[in-house]
Amino acid sequence: MNNRIREYRARHDLTQEDLARKVGVRRETIVFLEKNKYNPSLKLAHDIASAFGVTIEEIFIFDGK
Amino acid sequence: MKRGLIAVVVSVLVLGTAAFWFFGTGDHKVGFEIVSFGVIIVLVGFGLLFAYRRLSSAHRGEPAEDELSKKIVQKTAALSYYISLYMWVFMIWLKDRVTLDTEHLLGAGILSMAVIFFVCWIVIRVRGLRHE
Repeated sequence: MNNRIREYRARHDLTQEDLARKVGVRRETIVFLEKNKYNPSLKLAHDIASAFGVTIEEIFIFDGK
Repeated sequence: MKRGLIAVVVSVLVLGTAAFWFFGTGDHKVGFEIVSFGVIIVLVGFGLLFAYRRLSSAHRGEPAEDELSKKIVQKTAALSYYISLYMWVFMIWLKDRVTLDTEHLLGAGILSMAVIFFVCWIVIRVRGLRHE
């Protein structure tokens, strides 16, 4: 699964720390997500998509891996 | 925050006890004791790092633990338990071949378990949890 968190974060002018605080996780979790080293839970994926005001599918791209 | 402070207190107590054992008793220390002391220092360092991470997260207004950190600890515990079983089998094999007191053997086993946990934690953090 790939994601566009970094791209959306830049668009909304948010730092990793800002986004982490918004969705209630540690900054490290955002780092792991952006590096594709972690697949988030459905709740976290929903919270991140909500923080950017888009759907989960727009942020997370399931490539079958 | 609370667990971070507990980790600091435990680390300091372990370090104090180890220092008392190593420097306080007058016996001449042999290789095994020196290695044990070195391993304890590394593990105390790990404990302090753990405490620092939790306290700095709390200071930034982030949760001390979240779904990723919980999963890393769970995966680390499972993997290190599995590896520790093999380590104890190795210790039993070693017992018949090396002259070692029971206390030394148990001490080495317990320290090895802690080292295995530490190494697994680093490996899982470096590799990530992408396929979980």
